[in-house]
Amino acid sequence: MIEVDAISKEFAGRPVLRDLDFRVPDGRITALLGANGAGKTSCLRIIAGLLRPDAGTVRVGGIDVARDPLGVRRQLGVVGDREGLYERLTVEEYLTLFARIQGITGTALRQSLDDVRRELELEPLWKRRTRGFSQGERMKVSLARALVHRPQHLILDEPTRGLDVLAARLLRRTLLRLRDAGTTILFSSHVMSEVLELSDTVLVMAAGRVVGSGAPQALMREAGCSNLEDTFVALAYGERRVQGGGVPA
Amino acid sequence: MARTRQIFTWLAALFAGLCSAAHVVAGGAAAETCYLDGWGNPLHCYRLPVEGKPETPRLAVMVAPAVHDSGEEPLYLLAGGPGQAASDLAPLLNAFKPINRERDIVMVDRRGSGRSGAFHCGIEDQLSLDLDVFARKLARCYLQRPEFAESLSSRQTVEDLEMVRLRLGHEQIALWGGSWGTRTALLYQQWYPESVSELVLDAVAPIDTKVFLTARAAEEALRTLERDCASDPACARLGDWRGRLDEMLDNWDAGRAPVLPDPLTGKLSGEPMARWEFANAIRTVLYDPGAAAQLPYAITQAHQGNLQPLAGLSGLFLQAAESMSMGLTFSVACAEELNRISAAEVAADSRGTFLGTAFFDLFKHGCRGWPVKEKPYSTPEPREHPVLLISGEADPITPPRYAEVELGYLANRQHLIVASGGHINSARGCIPGLIASFLADPAEALDTTCSGQIGRPPFMVADYGPDIGGVSPQDVEAVGKVSGKEAGQ
Amino acid sequence: MNRLASILRGPGGALLYKEFLEAWRDRRALWMAICFSLMFPVMLAAGSVFMLKKHTEEDTRLALLGAAHAPLLEDRLRGGSLKVDALDGGDPAALLAGDYDIVLSVQDGFAEGYRNFEAPPLYLYIDSSSSAAVRAQRHLQERLGVFRQLVVQQRVIARGVAPQLLAPWHLEVRDVSTPSRRGAMLLAMVPGLLILTLFVASLATSVDTSAGERERLSLETLLLQPLPAWQVILAKTLAVASMGWAGALLALVALVSLMPLMPLAELGIQQATTASGVLTMGLLLLPLALLVAVVQILLALRSRSFKDAQTQLSILQVAPVVLLMMLDMSRAELGGFLWQLVPLVGQQQWLKALLVGETVPLMTLLAGSGATLLLVAVAIRFGATALQRESLLSAA
Repeated sequence: MIEVDAISKEFAGRPVLRDLDFRVPDGRITALLGANGAGKTSCLRIIAGLLRPDAGTVRVGGIDVARDPLGVRRQLGVVGDREGLYERLTVEEYLTLFARIQGITGTALRQSLDDVRRELELEPLWKRRTRGFSQGERMKVSLARALVHRPQHLILDEPTRGLDVLAARLLRRTLLRLRDAGTTILFSSHVMSEVLELSDTVLVMAAGRVVGSGAPQALMREAGCSNLEDTFVALAYGERRVQGGGVPA
Repeated sequence: MARTRQIFTWLAALFAGLCSAAHVVAGGAAAETCYLDGWGNPLHCYRLPVEGKPETPRLAVMVAPAVHDSGEEPLYLLAGGPGQAASDLAPLLNAFKPINRERDIVMVDRRGSGRSGAFHCGIEDQLSLDLDVFARKLARCYLQRPEFAESLSSRQTVEDLEMVRLRLGHEQIALWGGSWGTRTALLYQQWYPESVSELVLDAVAPIDTKVFLTARAAEEALRTLERDCASDPACARLGDWRGRLDEMLDNWDAGRAPVLPDPLTGKLSGEPMARWEFANAIRTVLYDPGAAAQLPYAITQAHQGNLQPLAGLSGLFLQAAESMSMGLTFSVACAEELNRISAAEVAADSRGTFLGTAFFDLFKHGCRGWPVKEKPYSTPEPREHPVLLISGEADPITPPRYAEVELGYLANRQHLIVASGGHINSARGCIPGLIASFLADPAEALDTTCSGQIGRPPFMVADYGPDIGGVSPQDVEAVGKVSGKEAGQ
Repeated sequence: MNRLASILRGPGGALLYKEFLEAWRDRRALWMAICFSLMFPVMLAAGSVFMLKKHTEEDTRLALLGAAHAPLLEDRLRGGSLKVDALDGGDPAALLAGDYDIVLSVQDGFAEGYRNFEAPPLYLYIDSSSSAAVRAQRHLQERLGVFRQLVVQQRVIARGVAPQLLAPWHLEVRDVSTPSRRGAMLLAMVPGLLILTLFVASLATSVDTSAGERERLSLETLLLQPLPAWQVILAKTLAVASMGWAGALLALVALVSLMPLMPLAELGIQQATTASGVLTMGLLLLPLALLVAVVQILLALRSRSFKDAQTQLSILQVAPVVLLMMLDMSRAELGGFLWQLVPLVGQQQWLKALLVGETVPLMTLLAGSGATLLLVAVAIRFGATALQRESLLSAA
């Protein structure tokens, strides 16, 4: 469970998040839907502890991010808006590094490396340095890095951006499998089809606030729209606040 | 002669000719930093106690440390005389810089010289022209310290050097000997062959050679000067200066003998010059080719009654005399040289020479008042050390033939003869470099052709000095005055 | 010790391993470090050889006009570093423009003037705009001076005067320097260059690991890990310092290995650097390497971009060396104990002493190195705070 309580954030006097409130339930995939500049990345960074909110609290798995950022990071996997690979390290070295940073050693280390290698089909890349990898390959490695310590919570910032069909497909399959295994997943996106396909719950963000939340179908229904895009436009720019059930705001 | 102390000038027997009085600034305990005049860099100085009477001083040892210590044997400099101090050789370090780069250079003032309790007699100011009076005064000096006089010998010096070698922790040492220092080096080589690696002997006084018989050597040097003068057009114009010299010596009238003006004060005072003094003055001038080059003119002038050039020449040797320790000179000379020279030998040596017995008589008289026991040497045994012998062709005391005749027992010797060279040539021209090459690779035969460029300095031919050439004086008279100034410059 | 081992086995060790892998796999940075580290010792060695060659072997070519008016002069000038060509005639300016460094003209009537004590002139033509002029003039003066002295001596002797009257006193110069200290002049720039090597060798790595990581967005990933920020800075500092230190060590070893090839003895300099001295120099450079590394990282983190970081650090690497040179030139009294505690200044003084074979008191070394390490700790602390600055993140 990720709990975001009344967080606000300003950058240079410009409010980015205003009194933001939401919950991300366990074992579900929650999508953070918003236009560019809606505050999605800032929101995710606050949850990961990279940014400190001006007000409000964030708890991940019951731990307050402000009080124990390292504790939060141990049960959190993050895939950022870009990949952050080390070009002079091989995939194996890269994943070993982050596994060890998470405190995994010995046989457990080998086990978790084997798991992500298999799950994300990394075998052909395993001994190669990441310089020159395609966007899809980079995403796979980055996702593997976020998963190598088997986090309870996974945050992804626009994960499908720039991916080809096969990679996007692998990502989607992986996320669904993780959800089924009980992982709490929060991802941001502005791609309607993807949100519709993956998410159990959608949080619609506009101007630093959640302007609508609920299961995609329920949201569409309430907005009286036949598709998610219309629903999003109605919610984000129509100044209508919709409560679609499910997530209490 | 104006200054009686000049008498001692003529007494200088086998000094190494690098005259500069040296003073150790720092004395005292072991390995202090000190300086010697003539060498600007700091030295390591030691005061080593020696066996013997309470009056025996501590031995002064001065080391010019190698710039880059590569473990090569150090070079010990052995001074001449007997009576010269090794510390007086400090100016030689300038020429020996290439050697000093890799090797320590060690100077040990032998007992009775320099900083090791110089045995001066203090009678220089009271010297008389009368040899018997001189001998009496010397005897008084002897009687003040007869045991000390007796103790001084080549044997003692060699033992002291060996002690220094051990104390400084030198496994083997190379020796440079100059003049009488070559005798010390050759004896060291005889007695401690294991301690010595190579020898460089400049103006060599072989063990069996009676070097105080100098008349013939001086005559040969003068004849070489004659030869060189005759082949120099400007000098040749001076004519038969040798004949004039002989004429002066033959017709010396003690009653009408000239008084030499003092070269320092210019005053005409003191006693007239004795014949033996005059002959010795000529002999001494021959030590140094630069001075010898002025001799034909000085004699020509003296023959005309102008003694000033000769007085000026004597001024060149003032400092050298002061560095000698007279007590040490006589202790060693009387015990090791004068004792083995017979009257017949003196007569044979002096026959037909300009010098005659003038030099020998001084020591003969002196040794009468200096009754040290004779200290003969045994016949030298063969030695294998590499030896570099250096001789000046016109050396009036250790002529090249000494190195050729009496050193057959040295199996590995090379002989470098410097054409027209005088006494001691180590600092001249390319010779320091040759010595450095020899020390670096003693087995290799040296290419000594470069020494041919040293040559004799230009002769003084007139009161204006050397003839610079161009239009000769005779031509000038014919042509008339020519303006020396360049117009329009 | 156990604590250190457990840190190295744990997340901190993993991070350190990554930083070292990244630093030492950066070929460009590595080559830059190696090239600069080898460049200055080689240049110094070549420079000293060249200096000696110039000093000893360079000849002066003298054109002697009118040699027939004074053959002895020609004869006495020959030799040493003076190469004399007696010419019948010629235009001095043209000769100077050609092969000759210097032209000496003897006029008709010189010999007669000489014999008449008229002090006849000799005309010396030089080209003062030529770099050889001063040396050439010195060579000529040396030879001419010796001959002049010989003539003067003969003239005064001819008048019954001892030549020593011309020298009312004798100046004895006593050089208190030791052969090893004499090397200080030549080696004076070496401490500065060694310190500069630290800066240059670690420059590329420090920019890469900070501004570079930030620009590649991997820094954000790193900050998302459960690691204390000080460990991140420390790991980066160690990796960067390892590069700088290795560069400085390489330079030091190259320098010491090249010393036997340098004509030190010919220059009267004793090569006195000892093995233990080299070891000490290597060790004392380590704290400085750490300080340089952490300061570079902090500056690079502050800068807006990779390029900006490079520019800033390029200035940084010149600044301290210039500062040290200024301190040196100002002849400031740096021997005091407090100066020994100032990073850079202390190390420069110690390197200077060790290079010429002198020792530095152990207490001074420890105190000064301690002061430097303290500063490193403060900088790491400061860096840890800086890492938490939100402006480090890419624009959302």
